[in-house]
Amino acid sequence: MGSQVGVVRLAGVTKRYQNGDETIEALADVDFRAERGEMVTVIGPSGSGKSTMLNVIGLLDTPTTGTVRIQTRDVTAFTEDELTEERRSVIGFVFQEFHLLPMLTAVENVELPSMWEPTVDRRDRAVDLLRRVGLGDRLDHTPDELSGGQRQRVAIARALINEPDIVLADEPTGNLDRETGETILEELTALQTNENVAVVAVTHDEQLVEYADRVVELVDGRVTT
Amino acid sequence: MSVLDLLWRFPSVQMAWRNLGRNRIRTGLATLGIVIGVVAIASLGMTGAALQQQADSNLGSLTNEVSVSAGADSATDGVTESQVDDIENVVVAAAIVPQRSDSTTLSTRRGESRRVTVTGVTNAGALYETSAGDTPDRLRTGALLSDDTAADLGLELGDPVEYDGQLYRIVGLIESDSGFGPGGNELVLPSSALSDGAYDSVTIVAEDGQTATAIADRLDAEFNEPDDEALSVTSFASAQANVDSFLNTLNLALLGIGSISLVVASVAILNVMLMSTIERRGEIGVLRAVGIRRGEVLRMILAEAAFLGLLGGIVGAALSVGTGLVVFQLLAGDRLAVFGWPSIRYVVGGFGFAVVASVLSGLYPAWKAANDPPVEALRG
Ligand SMILES: Nc1ncnc2c1ncn2[C@@H]1O[C@H](COP(=O)(O)OP(=O)(O)O)[C@@H](O)[C@H]1O
Ligand SMILES: [Mg+2]
Repeated sequence: MGSQVGVVRLAGVTKRYQNGDETIEALADVDFRAERGEMVTVIGPSGSGKSTMLNVIGLLDTPTTGTVRIQTRDVTAFTEDELTEERRSVIGFVFQEFHLLPMLTAVENVELPSMWEPTVDRRDRAVDLLRRVGLGDRLDHTPDELSGGQRQRVAIARALINEPDIVLADEPTGNLDRETGETILEELTALQTNENVAVVAVTHDEQLVEYADRVVELVDGRVTT
Repeated sequence: MSVLDLLWRFPSVQMAWRNLGRNRIRTGLATLGIVIGVVAIASLGMTGAALQQQADSNLGSLTNEVSVSAGADSATDGVTESQVDDIENVVVAAAIVPQRSDSTTLSTRRGESRRVTVTGVTNAGALYETSAGDTPDRLRTGALLSDDTAADLGLELGDPVEYDGQLYRIVGLIESDSGFGPGGNELVLPSSALSDGAYDSVTIVAEDGQTATAIADRLDAEFNEPDDEALSVTSFASAQANVDSFLNTLNLALLGIGSISLVVASVAILNVMLMSTIERRGEIGVLRAVGIRRGEVLRMILAEAAFLGLLGGIVGAALSVGTGLVVFQLLAGDRLAVFGWPSIRYVVGGFGFAVVASVLSGLYPAWKAANDPPVEALRG
């Protein structure tokens, strides 16, 4: 299905920040597309615009110029509330700092994005997702009772609860040791096939590259490959 | 239980409850502020209610009388016969008792003497209750004397007393135990015993306080202009109204003080909610990033504020009732009166104020958190 248009697509995206007198161009005329079942890695030096690009793809930030499409929908001019709906139903996030809520258990953290939805089976789905990332025996543990790698697995399960089309991960291994990082990456690659989602992962670590189907390199806000 | 279950269906409520559980000390302190506010507003209000109740029961027996005397602009020295007639035309269904006053010294053969006020009145029965002898409706020849004065002087029913060169036989003894008003060292004679001419005052005895007030208003309207007071009309009901209005003012002042403490408590809640949302900025950014709507974040934080208000309100109301029991016991001698509406409404009001003030204090922090752009919030 949508393989011609891409599940997400940036066209001519530029993002400028005004910092006092100086204008920073975080993204310069970026074209990008990701398909279901594909893992794309975005690499580049610090400050090259990787996070900015991921935020634009994730509908957390809007471009200064250019268009953003989800499937066939042009979401560039969406209101904040419309963007929220898109994020809820289409996008899953995995952050470098895990960003789990400390007062919730693992399974509750996984449920969180669907907590305000009147779905009956979200608990079952959350438990199922935690089993799949190997945390079937840690369902009722709070984040402070979990290791870094386990927390990031909870975050991955959380990203999947609303059955997204795209999973975005900004330096998901940045706070983990190399070995744990590798298990997380394996988990993410498994997603792209098992869940048929597009995975876009940012890293400044060359290590990630070997797991990618495709690598996009950013330098000073421009795509070089 | 089922209410709680129902509440639990609301994710905002559930999240709010957990969030409050995270920093118990802060939650406790914020709640304490509200508790103090509620206790202040409720116990001060209840103190006013207790004073009111006590004043009511003290004034109660006198409030059905209206007293009329010559007004400041009156040409005559008292209330004239024709004015009494006019009063009789205006006032129906009440006893109208014109009276003259004087004082004299009663002495016995043994040489003891007492100073007494002399009241000349025809319809004595309307004003006086006697412990012995008659209370004649029309006093023509005899005299009434306060029973304690009679006892002091060794006088009994049938004994003569002298006033203005005339002798009067004691036909009744007046009970002199009442706190206010007539009674005590008083000699009551037929109206004719005192010089004729104007009456010193007219007492009107009505059914109850309300009628007395109506009569007083009626007389005032009938006889007096704003700049020409022919009759001075005083009802004890209006004395009660004066006490009431004083107590109302006092009550307002007390409530004002109480409200200030609740306002202070609301500011404390505002501060706590603002601090906690700023601290949780990243977390709220995550909620927004994963697709939680702005309205849902708003409700969650409002629910936190409402919980603080509810907790503080419940604890405060309980403590207030306790305080009220003590206050009513001390001031009105009836601690259960605290559960009467005039008093318990301050507890209800304090509780309501606490919840409303807390939710209002939560509005700004909630609005601010809900509208924080998630990218900014996540960047920290
Ligand atoms: N909110 C912002 N305000 C100003 N400058 C910003 C903002 N966000 C990012 N930038 C700038 O944009 C550039 C790209 O940042 P970022 O996308 O975070 O890079 P990366 O993730 O590749 O390290 C950097 O120069 C950064 O300082
Ligand atoms: Mg970055």
